[in-house]
Amino acid sequence: MVLGLVKGLGITLKNMTKPRVTYRYPDEPLKMPDRFRGIQYLDPEKCIVCNQCARICPTDCIQLTGKKNPDPEKKGKVLDTFDINFEICILCDLCTEVCPTEAIVMTNNYELAVYSRDELFKDIRWLHENNQNIRSENSTNLIKKPGGKTT
Amino acid sequence: MLRTEEMLLNVGPQHPSTHGVLRLIVKIDGEMIVDAEPVIGYLHRGTEKLAEDLNYTQIIPYTDRMDYLSAMTNNYAIVHATEQLMGLEIPERAEYLRVIVMELNRIASHLVWMGTYLLDVGAMSPFLYAFRDREEILNLFNELCGARITYNYMRVGGVKWDAPPGWIEKVGTFVEYMKKQMRDYHALITGNEIFISRTKGVGVYSKELAIQYGLSGANLRVTGIDWDLRKKQPYSIYSRFEFDVPTGKTGDLYDKYLCRMNEVVESLKIIEQAVNQFPEGGSIMGKVPRVLRVPEGEIYVGIESPRGELGCHIVSKGKDKPWRLKFRRPSFYNLQILPVLLKGENISNLVAILGGIDIVLGEVDC
Ligand code: SF4
Ligand code: SF4
Repeated sequence: MVLGLVKGLGITLKNMTKPRVTYRYPDEPLKMPDRFRGIQYLDPEKCIVCNQCARICPTDCIQLTGKKNPDPEKKGKVLDTFDINFEICILCDLCTEVCPTEAIVMTNNYELAVYSRDELFKDIRWLHENNQNIRSENSTNLIKKPGGKTT
Repeated sequence: MLRTEEMLLNVGPQHPSTHGVLRLIVKIDGEMIVDAEPVIGYLHRGTEKLAEDLNYTQIIPYTDRMDYLSAMTNNYAIVHATEQLMGLEIPERAEYLRVIVMELNRIASHLVWMGTYLLDVGAMSPFLYAFRDREEILNLFNELCGARITYNYMRVGGVKWDAPPGWIEKVGTFVEYMKKQMRDYHALITGNEIFISRTKGVGVYSKELAIQYGLSGANLRVTGIDWDLRKKQPYSIYSRFEFDVPTGKTGDLYDKYLCRMNEVVESLKIIEQAVNQFPEGGSIMGKVPRVLRVPEGEIYVGIESPRGELGCHIVSKGKDKPWRLKFRRPSFYNLQILPVLLKGENISNLVAILGGIDIVLGEVDC
């Protein structure tokens, strides 16, 4: 009985001198690595309304609509509305993986707590304004470039 | 003579020792358990049914949420089954990355088991140390694929991300660190008198019973049966590595503890070899058609997850979605033996025996 206690205390003493492993979050912000999958940033200018993100989304949480390009010179559509329902988004990264123009990309922001469920519906404006800590490595796009060489 | 009466005791579904939402209806006579019945299904999400309406890439994030302590092996089960059915070739580099992350995940999973199990039997500090070391692994995963628990890392044909610069070296450093930590764990727990008296000779079952109940993983090996799918039906590149399969002798809880701790050591061996052999450069994604259409057919593959044989059965009708998908989740099968083990035990052993099976409810209910 005593031996176990002494050994245990030995480990405790050994660890007392080691550096602290806990963080002071939320007093100090906690930085995530670049690849971290946080809340998406959307650039409506880049979007070509191809609907691929909405189609790959496993939880069906992206709703988007397009309208005719107001500039009569240009063909194609521009984005009208774009909503992500963060009640069910699982931040799986698939939407950003299939987007051909990198209109939708991940950021490292992860603070999603809100006071009411309605606030979890993020619209085009909110997503566009979420422009801090954008992930730099978005080009690793497998579906676009199968067999892509690595660096 | 004193007249005694049997009593029904409801354990869970919200109870810390059930590691999720499991309910046990326990019939007790004084302090003795007469009968126990697990009630499952509280976490059922219908993953298998949902998968019928999802394409193969979309299913991968769902598998993260089955055994959430070891999402990498779950990812692998589905992509491996799909690749086998499609006859795809996987580049070397991707295979190495897969093995490294799966073994790291096995260690992380065993650390959670070890920590929470000791919490179950009444020790606090090993839990904190175990979670500290697990955090190192989660940080590595976070750097690699951007998530700590739900990785969604593997893809049919390869992996999503290549190792970031310096990552492989970090894994190597972690292996060295973890080897040292194992000594601390053994000093802290293995010889501890209280731990020994709570686990030695408790929850014993025989080889025959284990096989009858379809147990797998450490729950099977603890009875002395040498059965590890990484050895018996080598998948991925496991045949290239040298490692042993730890087995138990007596089949009690103490043996289960030793078995899992030794598995951590073996996993460290595998990772060390994989890091040393890690190919320079190369692709991380094989030649995969843009739309994954799996040829008509049926396949079952089993892999060794930290909890046992994780099987994936796909029936394809040639579409981009499976016609039927079935997961053989080890926790579900391992749990079935619980009523047998609990019968006749003292109520104070309930949590110790339940914890020893190492179930993850996300996987039991699926
Ligand atoms: S991260 Fe996943 S769940 Fe969220 S919107 Fe994108 S595809 Fe859908
Ligand atoms: S995938 Fe990209 S370009 Fe296509 S609709 Fe979505 S955000 Fe727009």
